[in-house]
Amino acid sequence: MSVLGTSPERSDADAKLRGQAIFGADLSRTGMLWAALARSPVAAGRIRAIDPAPALRGDGVLEVLTSADVPDWRTGVIVSDTPLLAAGSVAYEGEPVAIVVAESRTAAEAGARAVALDIETAEPVSTPEQALEPGARLVHPDWNRFAVAGGEDIGRNGNVVAEVVHDPGDLDEAFAAADIVVEGTYRTPRQYQAHLEPKMALATYESGRFTIEVSHQYPFRLRDRVAQITGVAPSAVRVVGHHIGGGFGAKLDVSLEAFVALLARRFRRPVRMQHTALEERLVAPCRANAIVAVRSAVRRDGTILATDVEIVSDSGAYANNGPALSSIPMFVFGSIYRVGTARIRTRNVYTNTAPTGAYRGVNGPWLVFANERHMDAIADALGRDRRDFRLASLARDGDLMRNGQPLTEASILREAFDRVDELAPWRDIVSRNQAQRGIVSRNQAQRDAGARTSQPAESDADVLRGAGQAAAIWLTNPMPGHATVKLNEDGTATVITSATENGSGAVATGLRQIAAETLGLAADAVTITMPDTDATGYDAGSQGSRTTHVVGRAIADAAADVRTQVLDRASRMLEAAPEDLVITDGVVTVAGVPAASLTLGAVAQAATWSDGPITAGASYVTPTPPHDPACATGMLIKGWPTPTYHLHQAEVSVDTVTGRVTVDRYVVCQEVGRAIHPDAIAGQIQGGVAQGLGFALSERVDLDHGRYVQRTFKAHGLPLAEDVPKVEMIVMEHADPAGPYGAKGAAEPPIVPVAAAVANAVSDAIGVPFDTLPITPEAVLEALEAEPNGETVARAAREPVVNRDGEQERETTGRAS
Amino acid sequence: MQFCRVRSVAEAVDELSRWGTEGRILAGGTDVMPQYLRGEQSPAALIDISGIDGLQGISEVGGVTSIGALVTMRRLATASLVQLRYPALAQAAALVGAWQTQTVATLGGNICSAAATADTLPALLVADAQLMLVSKSGRRRVSLEELLEGPGVTALRPTELLRAVEVEPLGERGAEGYVKVSRRSAMDLAVVGLALRLSVTPSGVISGVRIALCGGARAAHRVPTAESLLLGSQLSGDIDVFGAVGEELARAVGPAVSPEAHYRRRVLRGLFDRLARRCTAQIPGASG
Repeated sequence: MSVLGTSPERSDADAKLRGQAIFGADLSRTGMLWAALARSPVAAGRIRAIDPAPALRGDGVLEVLTSADVPDWRTGVIVSDTPLLAAGSVAYEGEPVAIVVAESRTAAEAGARAVALDIETAEPVSTPEQALEPGARLVHPDWNRFAVAGGEDIGRNGNVVAEVVHDPGDLDEAFAAADIVVEGTYRTPRQYQAHLEPKMALATYESGRFTIEVSHQYPFRLRDRVAQITGVAPSAVRVVGHHIGGGFGAKLDVSLEAFVALLARRFRRPVRMQHTALEERLVAPCRANAIVAVRSAVRRDGTILATDVEIVSDSGAYANNGPALSSIPMFVFGSIYRVGTARIRTRNVYTNTAPTGAYRGVNGPWLVFANERHMDAIADALGRDRRDFRLASLARDGDLMRNGQPLTEASILREAFDRVDELAPWRDIVSRNQAQRGIVSRNQAQRDAGARTSQPAESDADVLRGAGQAAAIWLTNPMPGHATVKLNEDGTATVITSATENGSGAVATGLRQIAAETLGLAADAVTITMPDTDATGYDAGSQGSRTTHVVGRAIADAAADVRTQVLDRASRMLEAAPEDLVITDGVVTVAGVPAASLTLGAVAQAATWSDGPITAGASYVTPTPPHDPACATGMLIKGWPTPTYHLHQAEVSVDTVTGRVTVDRYVVCQEVGRAIHPDAIAGQIQGGVAQGLGFALSERVDLDHGRYVQRTFKAHGLPLAEDVPKVEMIVMEHADPAGPYGAKGAAEPPIVPVAAAVANAVSDAIGVPFDTLPITPEAVLEALEAEPNGETVARAAREPVVNRDGEQERETTGRAS
Repeated sequence: MQFCRVRSVAEAVDELSRWGTEGRILAGGTDVMPQYLRGEQSPAALIDISGIDGLQGISEVGGVTSIGALVTMRRLATASLVQLRYPALAQAAALVGAWQTQTVATLGGNICSAAATADTLPALLVADAQLMLVSKSGRRRVSLEELLEGPGVTALRPTELLRAVEVEPLGERGAEGYVKVSRRSAMDLAVVGLALRLSVTPSGVISGVRIALCGGARAAHRVPTAESLLLGSQLSGDIDVFGAVGEELARAVGPAVSPEAHYRRRVLRGLFDRLARRCTAQIPGASG
């Protein structure tokens, strides 16, 4: 019986449920020191002096280090622009300036607060728009001296960290041939990962090597980055991973690890650091805020002749992975829906704000928001039903993405539209919402006419309803993974890998199931190790939905090798041909001869004491899909490997009195290749939608002159359990021949289309476009009041006005020119 | 800091007179403890009154209901007497924080902290709440209106303990309710909270109105200018008086100096209409 498609218990469930699991933040060592950072209180300025004396007077404070005491080179994932401690100037609020080492955490934190910083403040470059203004102050006047990994030309120039340009040069022609031009500018704020366990690091230094213990998504990157910063060989750094209390992309790069390493070497004692809640908030590598301007040339029959996309995203004070992420627009525009031609320019710019970074579905939520809001705008301008217009515009099998990569399975998306419609028929929803608008109008008219106000209103007479859709094609991160599978002498198996369990269950369930399936074991007979860079092959971390697909494939290959060894040994023991043997529930049997059997334990023992233990290792990297390398300049992500297909449909109510948006129904149709652990996939979908709803409606990450306005979880406004509906899910399976048993990635994508679907639904409900996030109650009330003459909050503008020939009758609104 | 656990009202007032302004009463702790942990409060003594049985309980004597200072929000939200005779108070208590908060937060705490956003205060104001105060030097009775001097500021003397609250029940031809607008559906402070109590004569004339608000820059307060607009009007009349009251309430919350104040004003207009309709629908014959 197959263990695939079942949902066995997670290997970490019991320990986590009982509070016994040791997370990074739980770690402690005998003789351990603590350190804490004094951080810049201002967004920009020149450091005049740092006086450690007040900190050194504190009980238990051992030392205060500044830039003069640590390596003075700049480092980075792509651009080497980041100093370990600020020297000369500070570029964002929260930038590390000095480090205080003490005997206790309290003493270290008190010391960090006591360090006297004398900083001459400068007017910060607060927004990406400001950064691009002619003559804008340069965030890094010496930007030209920063090295770029691999010497790549990423279009750097002043405040522009990276520029990716795709321009086939035929746009003017297309725009000249257009009947209408639809334009929109879509603005989105940052998004904070809001994981519960703060960032921490613990280092020891022994025999010339660092051991760094963490709860981190990508131990091998940490190994390499700590080596880069401290100036040692990567093999001199060992990273050991522990349970992770959430990351969502925030724990992919180095943060405190290099500091503890240097201090452990300096003091020859274990050193530990951990962010305070405020530090978490101030220096989190948030999803970048962005402005996406889209202009499309459209024919009256609905053909999109061309799309012109101009994107500016905020890198913050340092480049981080912004230059790589700037390639992603290439896989959103003109991929999901057909456009004749497209020009796409993305600029990632420096500002005096905390560096942005990776958050689940990097760049996706705001790119899909822009793409799908724009599709609604075009449908409205054409007077077309929004779903019909999407279906007519959908990419077809064999269509090329902007990088020249063929979409071999685009028709999966069409299937998704059908599947969602079976569950929640669009036409019924649209007509029901239209009827509700009638009730609200009548109620409003009655009130305006001064009718008897004490009359109890018709039920929900001040609630408008709307529906929206959003589609996405998302990738599965291809980066390398490795696994060793060993058959234990008791017949169980152990998988040795540095794949990290970031909460999704990919390691705690999926990878074990893949090994179990191949070896003929129950899932709970497979143990999987915690990450350790000394003990395993390279792993590219818990990111981009890659673990099940990439590491799963490595495990499937290694386990197949182990299986071959088992059958070979058993065939000699049972005197039967290997091809006549079957393995079920840990027992090898000669097919059709139940009496001729051996436990895997017996086979393993026999092997161990004759030929040697049965183990096998395998590696996997997803090959880059075929593409046109000359499609764009500055492009670091060249292809969109192992794509998956997604359609979301949201139904919302808008309270016209309070402006509150309630999500009444939410349907997700997600293609996963093969569902290894259906419950884990359901968890990913429910969680991704919750995070997407926060981005769309309630979370606030506002910047004021480079400083964050909201500084606590409470002010942040994560959605509550009450705010998130039970998501209805349709999981589609189209097996990927390269994936383990057909599995593709499933973790990131559920967040990607959410804000777009919700914004489309709210815009539909009110009849006013919402092109800026978040959609707050204030913004909703403002939109309702902006309606002409306050006549009725429910204009009927959504109804397509189409004449017999299917041509648009009504002149298009302000958005079309 | 000293932690004083007291077992009786007498012990409590002794400690209060000993510590004066240096002492702080601890009941449910949902306000005091976070303030203490954030370093906003550093009293010399925390006087824990949570073990005083005499401050518990809801009783009814001669048509007046007395609610002990330690009665929790959860109790207020679920007690049938409160639901029946003080529905606005039950509704307000059910909207404080979240279930966990409501289980420990007390009515006395909500009153004495006097937060500008305290949900129960508008509901108490429309029930003309009277506060029974006790100190070493004697007893005192103060109306809630008199007690509230500003956000977080009360006329309570440092040596005084709030023992109980007396509230006036809803009349037979009356209705009341509380509505709250906050950013999130739970665990959030009111952007605005609005309580209304109406009494209506058999012929449908509004004979009694109390309207109270919380959530602005000021402490919770009644709005007499809005009340007078409604008083004496015929419920089945054809004047859009609810709209006018909403406008008056919006004026009463003061100038829209911040985006939040602007939002509060906007919301109040429609919010009053919603609450008034909900209330009048409950009065027999009033909507016919």
